[in-house]
Amino acid sequence: MMQRKILVILENKPGALARVVGLFHQRGYNIESLHVDPVKDVENYKDIEKSLDLQLQENEVSRLLIATTVSDNLLRQILRQINKLIDVLMAKEEIQ
Amino acid sequence: MKLAGNDMLVQSLIDEGVEYLFGYPGGAALHIYDAIFNQKELQHILVRHEQGATHAADGYARATGKPGVVLVTSGPGATNAITGIATAFMDSIPMVILSGQVASHLIGTDAFQETDMIGISRPIVKHSFSIEHASDIPKVVKEAFYIATSGRPGPVVIDIPKDTTAPDKLFDYNPPKSVKIRSYNPPVEPDSKQIERAVTEILKAKKPVIYAGGGAINSNAAEELFELNEFLNFPVTNTLMGLGIYPATNKRFMGMLGMHGTYQSNMAMHNADLIIAIGARFDDRITNTPDLFAPNAKIIHFDVDQSSVSKIIEANIAVFGQVKNSLNELNKQLKEKIHLINKNSIKPWLDQIEEWTALHGLNHKMHEDNSDQNMIMPQSVVQHVYQITKGNAYVTSDVGQHQMFAAQYYHFNEPRKWINSGGLGTMGFGLPAAMGVKLAFPNEEVVCITGEGSIQMCIQELSTCTQYNLPIKIININNEALGMVKQWQDMSYGGRHSESTYQSSLPNFIDLVKSYGHVGIKIEKNSNLKDSLKEAFSIKDKLVFVDVYVDPGEHVYPMLVAPNGSLKDMWISKDKKV
Repeated sequence: MMQRKILVILENKPGALARVVGLFHQRGYNIESLHVDPVKDVENYKDIEKSLDLQLQENEVSRLLIATTVSDNLLRQILRQINKLIDVLMAKEEIQ
Repeated sequence: MKLAGNDMLVQSLIDEGVEYLFGYPGGAALHIYDAIFNQKELQHILVRHEQGATHAADGYARATGKPGVVLVTSGPGATNAITGIATAFMDSIPMVILSGQVASHLIGTDAFQETDMIGISRPIVKHSFSIEHASDIPKVVKEAFYIATSGRPGPVVIDIPKDTTAPDKLFDYNPPKSVKIRSYNPPVEPDSKQIERAVTEILKAKKPVIYAGGGAINSNAAEELFELNEFLNFPVTNTLMGLGIYPATNKRFMGMLGMHGTYQSNMAMHNADLIIAIGARFDDRITNTPDLFAPNAKIIHFDVDQSSVSKIIEANIAVFGQVKNSLNELNKQLKEKIHLINKNSIKPWLDQIEEWTALHGLNHKMHEDNSDQNMIMPQSVVQHVYQITKGNAYVTSDVGQHQMFAAQYYHFNEPRKWINSGGLGTMGFGLPAAMGVKLAFPNEEVVCITGEGSIQMCIQELSTCTQYNLPIKIININNEALGMVKQWQDMSYGGRHSESTYQSSLPNFIDLVKSYGHVGIKIEKNSNLKDSLKEAFSIKDKLVFVDVYVDPGEHVYPMLVAPNGSLKDMWISKDKKV
């Protein structure tokens, strides 16, 4: 088990953050740190725009960074659970 | 067309094809109720408790495949709906729940009948919406129905502050023609490479099992599954949620698996070299101890929900997509390789399964005993109901021993006819669910197989059945105790029946149902069972409540040995463990 950072890009809408945070609690995962802000530097997210075939506007989506200590299998499960949330555009492990 | 918020909401539901709205009025929903009064296209069904509304909508959805729709008021109306929403969520049932909310300017002030419905329901919904502006209503309704019914279905809540449905502010009604949510793209078509890999494994298998669940029903994949097994002739088992997806009277059907599954199904799963999981999620009632589950099996897992695959049991081959489409592709590829299918190679395996069935299979002839020297057995009741209805009824159930007996002894040859709360295990589900089914199919036989414990959890809905003239049949398998609790207490707690009996406090059910205008029939003698049940089913225009007194000591078997058991470890009777 090691500490991982999970990057989530989600719609900047009321309640969207609560769904991600709530999911950690519901599924019994622990959040060790959490940082969220609206995405202003949309030019750095070309890969998301390409894979989802869309164009992001400034402040339209939020970037969420979560640190948690989990195994490989559990990390995959967490990412799938987060990706399933309707307001989430993308969730992946952030490799430093 | 210019409409107010309340009329836009109702018109949006009509545009979605909603026939029935199950609900209960109250302050925050009164604008909406006024709009319902002014139209004729959808019918509102007034239940007696909001839990009944959710289960009725759920039953309607399970039987028809269309979303069930619920309307409740804020506060207690919303919280009373929670159990039904959680029930639908656990079983992936499409449902849209409209909850009234206090006016926008009062939110957060602890106003009268205010509760944070979005917050309370968050863990048990697929998604939820809060209406911010009346003009958003048509778009939100469209998105809610789309989310509820696509991908892995589930309940969606729309919370509606009272001011957004005010009748005095008019808006242009322009509902969107189609819906696209950029962050929501559930898989539909499978990856044909994965299907190729699946075909290779299928052709190699010597001890295969097809294990199909509720996801296959949700995806309407019965024909595809049947076609698949015309090629393969593999043994098939169904989960509690999957019963009916493969014909129960087919010679390859082994019965349900899991906690109270048949001996042959559990043995076949444990000894398999290949398990083809189709819309099933390996939950704990199925796997027993996951580390001991099917030690020699490769797993091919078909599912629309990626997070259900390799969650509990690692899949060797994962196929994401609508199960119907995936099976279609599998059948196509198998057809091309049909010359490579060697049906003889699984012959010893099929023989083995037949031996297991002969050794400890269920006794489907218990109903032939009509001697008054014996008490009525609950299994016989289900077997008689099956015979009388010729296996064609819609059967709803509650939760407990009667539910397991119904699942074991009523043979479902079609999907969507067995309606029960599998995942959440909600007592009180059966009667309101039967109302939803009967409204959807007024000319079909609808039977609620229940127990004296469960039926009392939503018994107020007998009044709804009177109001809308819903002639369902309620078979109350009465053992004068919370049977499944008592069984566990017998088996694991030294027979100490803590709070599982009623100390002679049961109502006279016959008098009770008569007071609602229904017919009641009491059965206490084995020799009367068949004729009295026949009499009940001969009454077509009235709700009939059959109160059958059965052997209170009976247990449900097989039963998996837990904790630390595998699928091959079962109690097969009170004194025999294998």
